[in-house]
Amino acid sequence: MNILYALFVDPWVQMGQAPDLLVQTLWEGLVSGVLYALIALGFVLIFKASGVFNFAQGIMVVFSALTLVGLHEMGVPAFLALGLAVAVMFVLAVAVERVVLRPLVNQPDIILFMATFGITYVLIGLGELIFGGNPKRMIADELYLPKGAIDLKILGGFVSLQKIDIAAAVIAAVMIAALAFFFQKTRIGRALRAVADSHKAALSVGISLNQIWAIVWFTAGIVALVTGIMWGARSEVSFSLQVIALKALPVLILGGFTSVPGAIVGGLIIGIGEKLGEFYWGPLVGGGIESWLAYGIALAFLLFRPQGLFGEKIIERI
Amino acid sequence: MRAPGGKDGLVAGDVLLAVDNVSLSFGGVKAITEVSFDIRKGEIRAIIGPNGAGKTSMLNVINGFYHPQQGRITYKGATRQKMRPYVAASQGISRTFQNVALFKGMSTLDNIMAGRTLKMQGSFFWQLFRHGPAMREEIEHRRKVEEIIDFLEIQAIRKTPVGKLPYGLQKRVELGRALAMEPDLLLLDEPMAGMNLEEKEDMSRFILDVNNQYGTTIALIEHDIGVVMDLSDRIVVLEYGRKIADGTPDQVKSDQKVIDAYLGVSH
Amino acid sequence: MFYREAGQYKTSYAADMAIFPIRQDRIGIAVILLIAFVIIPVFGNQFFLSSVMIPTLVFSLAAIGLNILTGYTGLISLGTAAFMGVGAYACYKLTSWFPGVNILVWIIASGFVSAGVGALFGLPSLRIKGFYLVVATLAAQFFLQWCFVRIPWLVNYNTSGAIEVPERTLFGVVITGANATPTARYLVLLSVVAALTWFASNLVHGRVGRAWMAVRDMDIAAELMGIRLLTTKLLAFAVSSFYCGVAGALMVFLWYGSAEPEVFVINQSFLVLFMVIIGGLGSLIGSFMGAALIYMLPIVLRMLPAALGLPIASATVEHLQFIIVGALIIVFLIAEPHGLARLWQTGKQKLRIWPFPY
Repeated sequence: MNILYALFVDPWVQMGQAPDLLVQTLWEGLVSGVLYALIALGFVLIFKASGVFNFAQGIMVVFSALTLVGLHEMGVPAFLALGLAVAVMFVLAVAVERVVLRPLVNQPDIILFMATFGITYVLIGLGELIFGGNPKRMIADELYLPKGAIDLKILGGFVSLQKIDIAAAVIAAVMIAALAFFFQKTRIGRALRAVADSHKAALSVGISLNQIWAIVWFTAGIVALVTGIMWGARSEVSFSLQVIALKALPVLILGGFTSVPGAIVGGLIIGIGEKLGEFYWGPLVGGGIESWLAYGIALAFLLFRPQGLFGEKIIERI
Repeated sequence: MRAPGGKDGLVAGDVLLAVDNVSLSFGGVKAITEVSFDIRKGEIRAIIGPNGAGKTSMLNVINGFYHPQQGRITYKGATRQKMRPYVAASQGISRTFQNVALFKGMSTLDNIMAGRTLKMQGSFFWQLFRHGPAMREEIEHRRKVEEIIDFLEIQAIRKTPVGKLPYGLQKRVELGRALAMEPDLLLLDEPMAGMNLEEKEDMSRFILDVNNQYGTTIALIEHDIGVVMDLSDRIVVLEYGRKIADGTPDQVKSDQKVIDAYLGVSH
Repeated sequence: MFYREAGQYKTSYAADMAIFPIRQDRIGIAVILLIAFVIIPVFGNQFFLSSVMIPTLVFSLAAIGLNILTGYTGLISLGTAAFMGVGAYACYKLTSWFPGVNILVWIIASGFVSAGVGALFGLPSLRIKGFYLVVATLAAQFFLQWCFVRIPWLVNYNTSGAIEVPERTLFGVVITGANATPTARYLVLLSVVAALTWFASNLVHGRVGRAWMAVRDMDIAAELMGIRLLTTKLLAFAVSSFYCGVAGALMVFLWYGSAEPEVFVINQSFLVLFMVIIGGLGSLIGSFMGAALIYMLPIVLRMLPAALGLPIASATVEHLQFIIVGALIIVFLIAEPHGLARLWQTGKQKLRIWPFPY
C-alpha cells in the first residue's frame, strides 16, 4: 500500500502543496523541450527531403557550437566567428552531399542511416582534433545573449526564469516561423516539398536533387548551430551533449518523422514529461531516471499510436 | 502433393470459399462494397475489373491481410469475419503478389523452402545441430521443393539470388513459393503482368497444370482478357468495388454491364 | 589453381546442403581451427593472446549476436552493450550464489537471462518497424545502463560499484580472476566461441534462418505465408541477446577481470554495430572480419607512428582513429555495402575461375 501511495498519490499531493515548485519544474521541462524540439527539427528537415535518418544531427549540434567557440578562442571576433561557423556548416552540407549522399543514392534506408554513423565519427574526430575534447564555455556574452534571471513572485513562492531560457524559446519560435515561411512561400521551399513527396517526380520536373539535399543539410546545420549556442549557453559546449541529443529520437517517435509541428509538440511533451518524472517520481527509485524516461514515454506511446501524434494512419499495401 | 478431395472432406464442385456481402473501406474511401461470390473446389476462378475496382483488396480480405468492416467469409465450411494472415496460411490459402514480393536476399531454393516453413515443425533444439531430425526434415522438404523446381523448370537458377533474376522468372519463383505451401486455395494476383507472349504462355501452362495435376483451386486476377477467358471456369467482374457480373466466360463476355465497364459508356 | 570444385559431385541433398559444400573450404576451416587451437596458443606471446586474440573473439561473438538481429532479421539495435551487460551481471550474480557450479555453466546460463531480457525489449517490434524500433532498443540501452549504476545488489554491494571477477577453475586449471593465464583464458574463450558460431551457422542455414531472412526481406509476404512475425522477431531478439549476453559475460570474466557500468555504454553498442556493417550484414564470417578490423585498427594506428618514426601525440592518434573509422564506414557503404564478407566471396569466386576473368 505504501508503494502504491508513493507512486500514485504522493507526487500529486506534492504538486498541490507547492505550486511554485511545480511551475518551476514545468518551466524547466519546457525549456529543455524546446531544445529537444530544435534537434528533432533538424532530423525532420533532412528526413523529409532525403529520406535519410540522420543520426549525425546530434554531433552537428556539438560540432557547430564547438567551431564557433573554438574560432573565438583562436582570437576571431565573436560575430565573425558566428559567420564562419555558418560557412563551415555550409561546407559540411556540400561535402556530405558530394561525398556521402550522391554515391549512395537509391541505396536502402538502412545503408544511408549507417552512413550517418560514419559522418558522426568523422565529425567527432575532426572536432576533437581541431578544437580539443575539453568542455568549453559558450561565448554568450560576446553574442549579447541575455543572462541573469527574472524572479516571479506567484503562487505563494518564487519561480525563477533564466533570461537565456526565455531567449532560447523566443529564438526557437522565430526560427520555426522563418522556416515555415521559407517552406511555404519560396521557390526553393516549394521544390523541397516536392522532393519530400517524391524524388522521381521532382526529378522529372527538373528539380536538382543534389542541390536540394545540400540546401536541406545546410538548413539543418544552421538549426544545429542555433541549438548548439542555446544549449551551450545553458551549460557548456562538450561532446557529452551528443548523447543527450539522442533524446530527439523519442521526440520524433511522438511527433512522427515528417511533421514539423509534431517535432515541436513532441519535444515539449518529452521535455516536460521527463522533468516532472524526475522531480516527483525519480526519488522513489534513486533518481537519475531522466536518462531513460524519454525513451520509456515514447515506447509506451508507440504501442497505442504507432504512426505518431501527427502521422497519418499507415495503410499497408501489397 | 495431394489429390482433389483431400483432408478437408470437400469434393470437386463443393463451395470452398464463399464471400458474403463484404464491404471494406479505408477511412472514407470505399474499396469494396457489398460483394458476394463463391469459389468452388477444383475450379479456376478469375476476378477481373478495371484498375481500382478492388480486386487486390478482395484477395487481401480473403487471406486475412485486410479486415472487412462488414460481411462474412466462409472457408471450408467455417464462417469468419476476421482472420489473421497466419491462420489463413495454415488453413491452406497461399498467394502471389501483384508486384513481386520475393525475399530478395535469398536464393530461389531458399525462397521456395521458406514457403514450407508452416510444414516444418521440428524442434528448435535439433535446429541448433543441423543433424538428426532437423537434417532429415530439411532433406524431406528439399525433395518436395525439388519437385516444384522441376515442375516449374527452374533447375538452372536454383542457387541464384532472386534479386538477380529477370522479372518473368521472379514471377515463376513466386508461384513456386506459393505452391510449396501445398495450398487448397491459391490466389494469384496478376501472374502475367509485364510478361511477353511466350512467358504468358508458359505461365498459363503452369497454372493449368497446377489445377489439373494437383486439383488446386485457383483464384486469379488478370488484366489480359484473352488469357482469362481461356483459363478460367468462372469469372467475377468488379467495378468501383461492386460486383457487376458473375458467371462463365461466355456469360460474362456477353454481359452488357461488363461491356460498358470495359469499353466505357457515359454513366 | 588449387581452388577448384570441378569433379566434386554431390550425390545427396545432405551433401548439397552442407555448410561447406566445397572440399577446399572444409580444408580451409580445418586449417583455421588448427591455427586457432594449436599454433596460436603455442607460439603466440602473452600480449598477442590477451590484447589481440581474446578481445577480437569476444567482439566477434557480440557481432554475431547483433548480426542475427540486424543482418539476418533486419531489426536495427543500438542496445547491444546493454544486453552484453545483462550477461555479465547475471553471470556474476549466479556464480556468487553458487560458487561450486562450473563457471562455464553460468556463462551459458547468463546468456539465457540476457535472452529473456532481450525478448522483453523486443516485444514492441510487432507494432513498430524500422527506425522506430531503434528507439525501443535505445530504451533498453539507457534503462539497463541505469540499472547497472543504480542497483548495488547487482555487484553484491561492492564499494567500487564494479564486478570483481572471482577465481574459478575448469578441470583444475584457473580460468578466471587474476591468476588465470592468458593461454587458459584464450582456449576456454575460443572453445565457447567456436561452439556458438557452429550453432549460429546451423540456425541461419535452416528453417529458423530462412524465417528470419524472410521477415527481413519482405515481412508482409512472410506473414501471408504463415511465418508468425511476432514469434520470429522475438526469437531473433532472444537468440541475438543470448549471444550478446554470453559475449558480455566472457568479456568481463575472461578478458577484463573487473568491470564498471561504463563498460556497457552506448558507444560500445555503436562499436559492435560498426563491426557488423564493415564485416557484412547477414554474414557470420563477416562478423569475425569486422570485429578483427575494428578492434585491431586502433592498435595498429597506435603502433604505426612509432614504427614509422613519426612524432604524433597519442591523443592526436586517438582523434585520427575516429576519423578513420568514420571514413571507413562511409567508404565501405559506398564501395561494398555487403562488407568484408562480400569482398571475401568475390575473391573466392575469382580464385575459382583463375586465371580466366569470367
